[in-house]
Amino acid sequence: MNISTKLVGLSLGTVVVVGGLAATLVGELKSLSASYNDLLQGPVREAEAARVTQVDFKKQVQEWKDILLRGQNPDDLVKYAKQFHEQEAKVKAEAQTLAGTVRDPAAKQSLNDFLTADDTLSKKYQIAYDVYVTEKFDFKAADRIVRGQDRAPTDLFDKVVAQLNGRVAAQAAAQQAEAIRQRNTALIVSGALLVLISVVGFIVVRGVLTRLGRLRAVSDRLAKADVQGLSIDISGNDEIGEFGESLKSVAAAIRELLGAASH
Amino acid sequence: MGIKLKNLYDEVGREKGPVGRMQLAMLTKITSFEALDCEDSPQNLKVVEDAIAQLRRQP
Repeated sequence: MNISTKLVGLSLGTVVVVGGLAATLVGELKSLSASYNDLLQGPVREAEAARVTQVDFKKQVQEWKDILLRGQNPDDLVKYAKQFHEQEAKVKAEAQTLAGTVRDPAAKQSLNDFLTADDTLSKKYQIAYDVYVTEKFDFKAADRIVRGQDRAPTDLFDKVVAQLNGRVAAQAAAQQAEAIRQRNTALIVSGALLVLISVVGFIVVRGVLTRLGRLRAVSDRLAKADVQGLSIDISGNDEIGEFGESLKSVAAAIRELLGAASH
Repeated sequence: MGIKLKNLYDEVGREKGPVGRMQLAMLTKITSFEALDCEDSPQNLKVVEDAIAQLRRQP
C-alpha cells in the first residue's frame, strides 16, 4: 500500500472516528435532554400542581375561619361564604385533575383518599355552616362540628406532595446517574479510540521513518560510490520500495562503471 | 555460469557502447561482470533480453 494511501486512510479513519464519536455524543445529549424534558413535563409539573392545591386547601380552611370570625355581619357572611365555596370547588377540581393525570400509583391512591376525606369534610362544613347561621352565629357550636376535621385531608395532601417530591428527586437522581454513566462511557470510548489512532499512527510513521533511514544510509554510500558489499534491502509496494528499486539501479550502474574502469 | 548472459551484455556493448552496458546494468540490476557468476536460467535470460529490447526501443 502506498504511503500516501496509508496517510490518507489514517486521516480518513481519524475523521470517521471523531465524526462518529461526535454524532454519538450528540445523540446521547439529545436523549438526556429529552429525558430531562420528560421529568419537567411529568413529575415536576405534577409536584408543582400538588403544591398549588396544598396551598389552596389551606386557604379554604382559612376562609372557613373567616366565616366564623366575621360572619356576624351579613355582608361579610355572604362574602366569606362565597370565597369559601369557591376555594372548596377549586380544591376539589384541582385534586380531581391531579388524580387523573398523576402517574405515581401511591400518589394517585393518596389523592383519591384525600378526595374522599375532603368530601366528608365538605359535608361537615355544610352542617357547621347551617348550625352557625341558625344558632345566630354561634361560632363555638359550629367549630365543635369541624374542629380537627381538616387534619386528615391536610395530612393526606401533605403525603401526596411528599410522594410527588420524592418521585421527582428519585428521577432526577436516576437521570444524574445516567448522565454520569454516559459521560464515563464517552470518556472511555474517546480515550480508547485516541489510543488506537495514536498506536496505528505511530506504527505507520515509525515504519516509514525506519525505511527512510535505510534509504538515506544507502544513498550516502552511493554518493561516495561505495558499492562494495552494498546490500539494498528495501522492498515494498509503496513510494519507498520504488525508491529502493531506483537505488538498486544506481548501484548497478556504479558497479558497472567501476568494473569497466578497473578492466 | 552465465555465459549466455555475458554474451548478451557484450552484444549490447558492441551496439551501444559503455553507456549501453551501464543502462543494461541499471535495468537488470546486474553488471556485465556479475553476469558471469549468474545462472543462465530461463528467468535470468528473460530479464536481460527484456531489458535489451527496452534499450533498443529507446532512441
